Amino acid sequence: MSQADILDHQFVTAAYIITWVLQLGYLAWLGLKWRSEKRNAEQRQKRG
Amino acid sequence: MKKLVLGLYAIATVALMIWGFYQAMYVAPDDALQGYIFRIIYYHVPSASVAFVFFAVSLFGSIGYLTFRRGNHDRAQIADAWALAGAEVGVVFCTVVLLTGPIWGRRAWGIWWTWDARLTTTLVLWLIYVSYLLLRRFAAGPQMQTLAAVLGVFGALDVPIVYMSNRWWRTQHPAPVFGGDPGSGMKDPAMLAAFGWNMLAWFAWGIFVLILRYNVERKHQQYAEQEAEEALAANL
Repeated sequence: MSQADILDHQFVTAAYIITWVLQLGYLAWLGLKWRSEKRNAEQRQKRG
Repeated sequence: MKKLVLGLYAIATVALMIWGFYQAMYVAPDDALQGYIFRIIYYHVPSASVAFVFFAVSLFGSIGYLTFRRGNHDRAQIADAWALAGAEVGVVFCTVVLLTGPIWGRRAWGIWWTWDARLTTTLVLWLIYVSYLLLRRFAAGPQMQTLAAVLGVFGALDVPIVYMSNRWWRTQHPAPVFGGDPGSGMKDPAMLAAFGWNMLAWFAWGIFVLILRYNVERKHQQYAEQEAEEALAANL
């Protein structure tokens, strides 16, 4: 395997990792936002 | 029932993503000119396609909000939730495009970035929708949704410019693989299959996230409306 092949492989891997970190990070943030909305609704119900 | 359908859809999406990854990394051959680095195309291009479609969702949501805002409050709120979900998830996919593109460019062209027509118009598109999200986050008052909808309509005008940019101006970015000059397109069936599976997988993933974002926003709207009604009742 040449130096160029190793670099290509590293760059493709880096791009894939960046893609999934962004996608899963956003999904996790959405999950937290969903939980927060749910908690707000429950607290309002308790008050009401 | 709704949760079951969403769960099954999520499982099918994960299966598609795994299959798409296998096709892209192990089945499709290296490109004759670019070699292994060409495999970035299997998530760079689908991400751009998903971003374009979701910005269109935001456009239709914005138009819907402007249409219904005076006559039908519920429909206007639903349209606004789609507009926000489309813009936000579109920005996530557009960010993927703007990060994976330079990684590909560094190996293929020897540079991370250049002010070429496709790259610049894509960056402008990203900036427009980031400003849309900032407007929604920080602007207060009843006009916020209307202002955001107007920005959503004008922002979407950049999408066809980005799409056509590497057809109108031949600069650094390669000519379109699909829908370009006669004879464009992937010739190798294994490459074409890998591309098709990844397109399907990323669209499935994008729709899954879009639906989640829409539901979160609807819940937020309902909570905000109930709060406003309670505050109004307390003041009377």
